[in-house]
Amino acid sequence: MFHAVARTSEVSDPGKILVEVEEQLVALFHVDGQFYALDDVCTHDGGPLADGELDGCQIICPRHGARFDIKTGAALTMPATFPTQSHEVKIEDGQVYVKLNKT
Amino acid sequence: MPQTETATGFTPETFEAFLASRDEPTWLTEQRRAAFAAFGELPQPHSGMEEWRRTDIRLLRLDKYAPALERPAVDSLPAALLTSGGSTSSIDEDLLDQTAPLVEQLTGVGDTPAETRLALAGQTAALNSHSISSQLIEEHAKQGVIFGSLDQVVTQHPDLVQKYLFTRAGDLRYDRFAALHAAFWSGGTILYVPQGVRIEQPLYIQSSITPGSADFGHTLVVLEEGAEATLLAELSGGEEAGGLHCGGVEIIVGRGAFLRYVNLQNWDNTVWHFAHHKALVEADARLQWTVGALGSKVSKVNQHVALVGPGANAQVNGVMFAEGRQHLDYHTLQHHEAKSCRSDLLYKGGLQDQSRMVWRGMIKVDPGADKTDGYQRNDNLMLSDDARADSIPGLEIEADDVICTHGATTGRVDDEQIFYLQARGLTRNEATRVIVAGFFQQVFDRITIPSVREALGHAIRRRIREYE
Repeated sequence: MFHAVARTSEVSDPGKILVEVEEQLVALFHVDGQFYALDDVCTHDGGPLADGELDGCQIICPRHGARFDIKTGAALTMPATFPTQSHEVKIEDGQVYVKLNKT
Repeated sequence: MPQTETATGFTPETFEAFLASRDEPTWLTEQRRAAFAAFGELPQPHSGMEEWRRTDIRLLRLDKYAPALERPAVDSLPAALLTSGGSTSSIDEDLLDQTAPLVEQLTGVGDTPAETRLALAGQTAALNSHSISSQLIEEHAKQGVIFGSLDQVVTQHPDLVQKYLFTRAGDLRYDRFAALHAAFWSGGTILYVPQGVRIEQPLYIQSSITPGSADFGHTLVVLEEGAEATLLAELSGGEEAGGLHCGGVEIIVGRGAFLRYVNLQNWDNTVWHFAHHKALVEADARLQWTVGALGSKVSKVNQHVALVGPGANAQVNGVMFAEGRQHLDYHTLQHHEAKSCRSDLLYKGGLQDQSRMVWRGMIKVDPGADKTDGYQRNDNLMLSDDARADSIPGLEIEADDVICTHGATTGRVDDEQIFYLQARGLTRNEATRVIVAGFFQQVFDRITIPSVREALGHAIRRRIREYE
């Protein structure tokens, strides 16, 4: 089920915000006009991801520098070896909706 | 139109309303004020702090919860709470009869035959941090044993409580939750056992919450020289609507005394659980402490055992099981402050689904605490690929002549063992259950109270999913 999380205008491009969906924290990214959503979890040590720096379509974990692809959640560099969960995003009338993908 | 709203949050207004609702000695009010001031000054824990690095509490909304102002209506009691009515200094036969099914339902040992049911020396029950009942058998009351709601005992024996409450075994400035607890504790239980008095049968504490409520129960246990007691405590409730536990336990085991203490948190998986537990074990005293962690959405617990007199001995057992998205974070400290003390810790955890467990243990040996024998071990069994366990043992030794060892293991259910058991006619499910039971047996063997062993084993068996 999709949840309204933000207005498109609330997230700068490029930019990111942290939103809450079904009692989970989700990092919402806005890059080149597209929105993406990932679990706010670095799979290396479980720390929060959204505080990190955004480099193009990569988010860099603030703790140890692991990089993840914001489109897919794929782990791109050490020390992370497993992907973080990505979630579905849709835009309707300037509103961003997120649907959790659950494993 | 005037509206009646129950004020929530832990603000200066709700704090004053809370104080106004209580009739307490001045020293206690002042202690609460100091704690509330500390709550305002201390930083909110965040992932940048080493101790909070692995536990994310950004989703915690303290303003959703409220201090225990209004006594809950009796009809909102959970079904398990069979006893109601006020406190009595002795248990009459009818009440005693009712205690058996109460414990039975709460501990899940429903199949226990009547003749082997736990006979209790006393019990207290609290709902939403309000005392509901407390009882102690007459024989022990005559011996000078005090067991009952801390709320009530603090007015009956203020000097006794003042001597111990947040003095030796509690630090109300440890962190923001410790301060919040010290400011707003209510209900709670005290057990005081005078010198040389031995209580054979266990005493039982039950704390529960209605959905969406908070529990701020405080437990204070003092055993004087040579005393002996067994105390079982259980926390439960919060069905699906969540809740908050912000608790504290202070234990002082006097010279040569012996305490067996079991603390089981079995909250609904939507409850936030924060607690600070500390025990002081004096010369030649013994403490056998078992921690059960089955419930809660997020738990962050500090368990601290301080061996403060020569010859003190502490055994610490942990039984943990997590499922769904539960997150259990337990920090243990075995602090050897005196020489010739022994501490032996074993924490075992089972994880399934996407659950997460953190155990961070430290053995700290002070200068001069020679002939220390310290051990700590944490084993985790992973039942799913998506669970995560962090084991962080540590040693900090400032004495020369010590034995200190630690170990940690994390493993999955072994496919070869499953195959072996299946070859002997067990289904995969049965095989998994046998392996999980075997894994926990090592810690169950150390728990000397049969009903506790059974209750924990039963609760874990019930939680294991069907693995095909």
